[in-house]
Amino acid sequence: MSRATKTYIKGVKVSERHGAGEWTAERLSSLILVPLTLWGLWTGFTLSGAGYDAALDWFRAPVNAVLLAVTLLVSVWHMQMGLKVIVDDYIHKPGSRGALLGLIGLFCLVIAAAGVFFIVRLALGSAPLPAGFGI
Amino acid sequence: MSTSPLPGDASSDPTGDATGRFLVQPNGRVRPLSPHLQVWRWHVTMAASILNRMTGGALSVGAVVVFAWLLALAFGPEAYATFTGWMSTPLGLFVWFGLTLALCLHLAGGVRHLIWDAGRGLSTKSADALSWASMIGGVVMAVAFWAVLFASGRIVL
Repeated sequence: MSRATKTYIKGVKVSERHGAGEWTAERLSSLILVPLTLWGLWTGFTLSGAGYDAALDWFRAPVNAVLLAVTLLVSVWHMQMGLKVIVDDYIHKPGSRGALLGLIGLFCLVIAAAGVFFIVRLALGSAPLPAGFGI
Repeated sequence: MSTSPLPGDASSDPTGDATGRFLVQPNGRVRPLSPHLQVWRWHVTMAASILNRMTGGALSVGAVVVFAWLLALAFGPEAYATFTGWMSTPLGLFVWFGLTLALCLHLAGGVRHLIWDAGRGLSTKSADALSWASMIGGVVMAVAFWAVLFASGRIVL
């Protein structure tokens, strides 16, 4: 993204590299997560102690499944950025930092991918796992 | 002991400093590190900031617990019964309460951050007030959530 000529907005130099991208992404994900967290708390309240069938019924409503998938993905994105900042702040050895950031990335990827997989199955009313996976 | 230079004192040579307050940068320059937790006098904005990072870290563990809930649900009634069996023990409920508390505090702290990032509430007085409000508000939210949960009979200890 490096620019050949320096650009300015209101007298402030625009970054020649990624600049404020991470800052903006953190704020954007926070902003999206504020209503989703309140909705998640409400969901947690309604499903607490409600049992298996009530939870399955909840997933049959497409709006619930879609909102939960969005909440999961944005949360994982936000979590990855938050954990990365903590590692960047406290781990100074390049090797350890790289390894930790790799592990965090892998952790986030697994949570996101497997989480969406479960949500899709529950929304479609698929048979309980490991159905069809031969375990 | 007394030979270590004062922070920010460029006249003294920090290369021999053993206090760990200086860092040799990749370009060879010696730069002071900012003082750490044990040096600063505690202030409410600092406490709120640290709390936001701590609750964020705790919520990463929370993500695993919520993920386990999804997994148990996808694996059918028996797996779900096992999961809810663990989670309805006093220890399980304590874990959920902790996660609710972390979530409410992080939510309130996040809103506080967004207000500041919009350039508002940055005077010393309002920054202090916002820090207190986010911390007290988060605790009140989590306690109210669980009070209603128990009062409605959804959860029994």
